[in-house]
Amino acid sequence: MSKQALKLLSIAFFLTLLPGFYSVSHSKEPIVLGVPTSLGFLEGKEGLACVNLAVDEINAAGGVNVAGTMRPFKVVAIDSRGAEPGVPVAEVIKAHKKLILEDGAKFIVFGSFRSEAAIACMDLVSQFKIPMLLGTAMSPEMQKKVTEDYDRYKHTFRVCLNAVYLIKYLGGTMAYLNKKFGFNKVFIMDQDVAWARKTGDLMISMVFEKMGWQVVGRQTYPTGASDFSSGLMKAKAGGAQVILPIFDMPQSGILVKQWNAMKVPALVAGFISPLAGPAAWKTFDEKIDGAINAIFEIGNVPVKKVPKSAEFFDKYEKRYGKPIEAGHSPAPAYEMVYLLKEAIERARTVDGDAVVTELEKTDRQGAMGRIRFGKDHQVVYGEDPAETAMGCMIQWRQGKRVVVYPESVAEGEIALPEGLKAVK
Amino acid sequence: MKKRKERIDRGIKVRSEDVFALTSYREMLYLLAPRALPVAGLLLFLPLSSPYWREIFISTAIYALLAISWDVLVSVGLISLGQSLFYGVGSYVAGALNHYWGLPPVLTLPIATIGGAAICTVALLPVLRLRGIYFSMVTLVLPLMMLRLVEATRIFGGTEGLTGLSPFPGQLTEMYLANACLLIALFGFRRLMDSDYGLIVRGISDNDRAVMNAGLNIHWYKTQILFLGAAVGCFAGAFGTHHDMFAGMPGFALDYSIMPIAAAIVGGTGTFAGSVLGAFILVPLSEILRALGALRIVFYGLFLVIFVVGIPEGLFHYIRRKYHQFERWVEVE
Amino acid sequence: MLLGTLIYGFVNSCLLALLAMGFNLTFGISGVANFAYGAIYIFSGFTAWIFLNSIGLPYALCVISAISLSAGLGVLIYHVVIKRVKGLALSEVMATFGLGLAIMELFRYFDFVGFKYTLPNLIEGSVAIGDVYIDYQRITVILAAIALTGFIYVFTHHTRTGLAFRAIAQDERTALTFGIDSDRTAALSMGFGSALAAVAAVVVLPLGTIAVEGGYDVLLNALAVCIVGGLGSTVGILVASVLIGYAQTLTANYLEPHWMMLVSLIAIAIVLCIKPSGIFGHQKELEERI
Repeated sequence: MSKQALKLLSIAFFLTLLPGFYSVSHSKEPIVLGVPTSLGFLEGKEGLACVNLAVDEINAAGGVNVAGTMRPFKVVAIDSRGAEPGVPVAEVIKAHKKLILEDGAKFIVFGSFRSEAAIACMDLVSQFKIPMLLGTAMSPEMQKKVTEDYDRYKHTFRVCLNAVYLIKYLGGTMAYLNKKFGFNKVFIMDQDVAWARKTGDLMISMVFEKMGWQVVGRQTYPTGASDFSSGLMKAKAGGAQVILPIFDMPQSGILVKQWNAMKVPALVAGFISPLAGPAAWKTFDEKIDGAINAIFEIGNVPVKKVPKSAEFFDKYEKRYGKPIEAGHSPAPAYEMVYLLKEAIERARTVDGDAVVTELEKTDRQGAMGRIRFGKDHQVVYGEDPAETAMGCMIQWRQGKRVVVYPESVAEGEIALPEGLKAVK
Repeated sequence: MKKRKERIDRGIKVRSEDVFALTSYREMLYLLAPRALPVAGLLLFLPLSSPYWREIFISTAIYALLAISWDVLVSVGLISLGQSLFYGVGSYVAGALNHYWGLPPVLTLPIATIGGAAICTVALLPVLRLRGIYFSMVTLVLPLMMLRLVEATRIFGGTEGLTGLSPFPGQLTEMYLANACLLIALFGFRRLMDSDYGLIVRGISDNDRAVMNAGLNIHWYKTQILFLGAAVGCFAGAFGTHHDMFAGMPGFALDYSIMPIAAAIVGGTGTFAGSVLGAFILVPLSEILRALGALRIVFYGLFLVIFVVGIPEGLFHYIRRKYHQFERWVEVE
Repeated sequence: MLLGTLIYGFVNSCLLALLAMGFNLTFGISGVANFAYGAIYIFSGFTAWIFLNSIGLPYALCVISAISLSAGLGVLIYHVVIKRVKGLALSEVMATFGLGLAIMELFRYFDFVGFKYTLPNLIEGSVAIGDVYIDYQRITVILAAIALTGFIYVFTHHTRTGLAFRAIAQDERTALTFGIDSDRTAALSMGFGSALAAVAAVVVLPLGTIAVEGGYDVLLNALAVCIVGGLGSTVGILVASVLIGYAQTLTANYLEPHWMMLVSLIAIAIVLCIKPSGIFGHQKELEERI
């Protein structure tokens, strides 16, 4: 064997060894926040933008005070493809493993989009003892797991709204509609993903059955469906006064357009992700007048009675030159970085278990209202911004979003679309 | 003194194949090196790499096993477009056993391999007589059907799947297990295809009616090969399930069908080694491209096109040809 | 309700036929695997959108340029990719699929994601049949499907080029002896198929948003219709579209929408088991099974 070949071989050998050595930590080093989400999706993109906004603010102010040393945050984002239907969960898990093992992420922030993926990742973060703050996933299954096996799953927290609280808001809206207009016939249309289906189930068992509403029918659509005519026809034939949509896919905006084209005499009140942002009016050719939509967390829409929410909304617009479009996730994404900063400062370390203990003691007045975690690691939502975090319902009226529910922050009353009259 | 060039492989080929008398260590090295080096590389170098790259190696091994499974089916003339059927079935069998009855991976892996293969074989039995593209179409449709079936009936946890399954005891154990199984499958099937049995199998793929004329029951042979291929795929599924601690609908995802075929085509079909080589190029490539964010799949697609168009015979066949064409200078006597 | 099911089932059938038409022309009739079909469909949708919103051309001009650009893309794909691996069926499939992947994800990379990517309706408004409202765009879908089917049938049976398309799939060498340039014909078939994809895109996309994921669905639906109907048969496409279209609408209306896909998949599996070359396929029995 020639000398040169020997040399090459030893270099090759050295190179294979190399990756094992650079996991040396240093105290002045930045604290790495891993952001695994679907960057191609609106919620993921704006969520990451909000994480960056908060991180830049914190770093500009000197960083995080870890027992005396000021350490900056560093964001490593990765496209987990967690929002696409049918993507192997293995792919999402691999993205998490890359963040933890390769990029040295100490915390997972704004994790993994769909509940299916997020729940599968709970086992992973507990294996590595890495605290994970969920941003988009909504299935209450996560809380169940934390409560049932606290020691194993205590590393997972959720800052955004979950399906149960969504039901409280939607149920409250329904009760309000009933009180005001006497409506009691509803048609449910939901998307076939964990959180939406569960929300639909719970709306029936917890709200409509108790309040004596008649559920005219229910249709579940696979993710990606874009023809809602059959459901709308059923709703019309059944004489529904309210259509309750629960969707988070881009195509679902078409539902309202079709509702408009088919002139279905019912009020659309629920959640359709593309209807949440200010651009929706133009996008849907101004054909969404009268639709009522949930905004999962305030701050994604400025609410006058909660000054911090408006402040956050403006800050985002100033930084990125366009307003927040997503109705779910941006405000929590921004807040969770601050929650983490405060918890690390209280814990005086970045050790996972210690930070988990401090995160549980969180009490912060932010863009979403007052943020506190419950025993099940879910931020508590309610109707009073001084006591709890909150979401709200808006109605589209001549191109503007008017907050109509809860009454504590409402800026206007619900208006009925043409062809629908109050029963009372 | 005059010199001329001489192909190294000629003499060795004659001596090794017919009389089986190799004359020097050099000749043995020539034959052994291409087989031993990758094996040594897998067994010795991998433990030294970082934990993250070990993770990637494990998923590479899973895709390589699926690619071998694809190649096994191709050797009898069945072109499958739905490897994810095997992956998904293996994954659900192992996942369900672990989730509902708490069986450890030591038991679930073999049960899922054999049981899953049996399920897949029975499921595909009615269409085993179909030829060419028609068989391929059925295999393309089946995993999609299973996917929708789970979605609609909500069995086995529905869209949420089964979570919290028991992991393997440690990364190194896991890696060596994947390694060992990959090597056994690779060399085992290469051996099998060189035997008389393999001759019949390849005969069926070349001209099935001629084999029938020889009085052999080709359907029985096809069933056996289908079972073997499915077993390898189901093992990959069961292994992947315990690796991710999760079994669910994504097991039937298109990724598990396309990736193995892409690996086999990039590496070269019919040799098993080609499939493994392809997997070892494509899976790490897709990981390295992750740094590109959303551009990742764009580049991935383009690489696929370049490989397929640039080396249509497959990388392994290309390298093997070049290796056999090595020449050395010898004196003219 | 019944009337609604009938009408919307028919719309759905026509939509499927429209989507499958171009795929059938290239893959079914000329035997050229074009698995970048979905990508071309999305490509034409986005091109039309860009011409309309970024450059501000009149809509008719946008449609025409989108169609011709897609046709050009098809021809280009043939010459750059498919020609080099012609005859290796799997390589053809893999290479075009990879290319389609690259095209679609490139759009995702350039931020073509969101709700604003919609094409305008050709004619606004809706009309009532009985108590069922149907918008003019859906009527356009029906008309376009009928017109294109007729056109393809006449084209492949009564024109020189159309007959050449079928000839190269039946027996390439014999076609060569008759003076048919198989490369040129196949490239033309690719272009033609891509143009049809563009037409389908312009007619169908106003019903929803242009989304990258749509490309995969289009390919799958086209494949399904072609398999059930029989590769290469224009009549088969129609029958299969009606079958699958009504099956889907009926399950959506009387069962639940998420059984919809399952029904068409089961239909495909059954057809493949019983009559592998499709309802109107022309394959010989011995080539199907043994």
